[in-house]
Amino acid sequence: MSSTESLIKHLPNDIGGMPADRIEQIDHILLPWEKRCHALADVLDFHKIISTEEKRRGVEALGSDIIGKLTYYERWIVAFSVILFEKQLLQPEELALRMAEVEKRHQREPVL
Amino acid sequence: METHDHSHDHAHIENPVDAAPGYYEVMETAVRELLIEKQFIGRGEIRRQIEVIDSRTPALGAKVVAHAWADPGFRSRLLADGRAACEEFGISFYDDTRLIVLENTHKVHNLIVCTLCSCYPRTVLGLPPDWYKAKPYRARAVKEPRAVLTEFGTDIPDDVEIRVSDSTAIVRYLVLPRRPEGTENYTEEQLAALVTRDTMIGVATINTVK
Repeated sequence: MSSTESLIKHLPNDIGGMPADRIEQIDHILLPWEKRCHALADVLDFHKIISTEEKRRGVEALGSDIIGKLTYYERWIVAFSVILFEKQLLQPEELALRMAEVEKRHQREPVL
Repeated sequence: METHDHSHDHAHIENPVDAAPGYYEVMETAVRELLIEKQFIGRGEIRRQIEVIDSRTPALGAKVVAHAWADPGFRSRLLADGRAACEEFGISFYDDTRLIVLENTHKVHNLIVCTLCSCYPRTVLGLPPDWYKAKPYRARAVKEPRAVLTEFGTDIPDDVEIRVSDSTAIVRYLVLPRRPEGTENYTEEQLAALVTRDTMIGVATINTVK
């Protein structure tokens, strides 16, 4: 097999049958924002804005480096943002501005 | 004005719940707010969907399994069309997915996986556990299911065929475990109490769950 052949035979998500470590039987209670992110995925699917399959492909398109380093719902929200840019439903600039605003809002709100 | 008393100064106490949100949480908030403002999604829809997500747990799947054990007619309809039978049983499907119910027998043991991502019968089991979404289970379940089952403490006799079903965005699977011996007089409620999430994924059998 040539050195690049394995790269094109399997996209980053296509790991069925690959060698892998022992299964760690772990689980965690979702953080509130993770649950909101999951609900957002469902609502985007209901409105036919982003389907489950589009989301999966969107995550795959992030590439193996990002997929490997981000957590499950981090990958989702980044994929949603990219797909929304591609569909021109959101502009990168307005998302950046809103994120700065959200951050500022939290700095203003005192910790009680 | 009160005098400043350091014993009442909580400014340096970190409360993780009130801690500043991380980068991706900020992104989630910003995306959600913009989508609502642009009226792509309705105000309150996310909260309502969280309630739907919270209402789906393995207890729902366990009721379906117990009913299938107790009512042969329902069992037939469930195996013929999982979604229609669940809807008949009062379980709504909030997503556009098909449900295929796989029956374990003396000859066949079923295991479900999603090798590409994390597709799962969420309407009847709730959200999948982390290990189901992680690489080792997704990679190995289709290649060496017996080794995977052994790691879960589940030994399936060699003469029982193991069938692994790989879920997709639109086709989801649910395992109908074998009804244990000696439960002939159980009520549906007692039967449902025997059925765990892992037995409906197929990584466990009823008998191995004590």
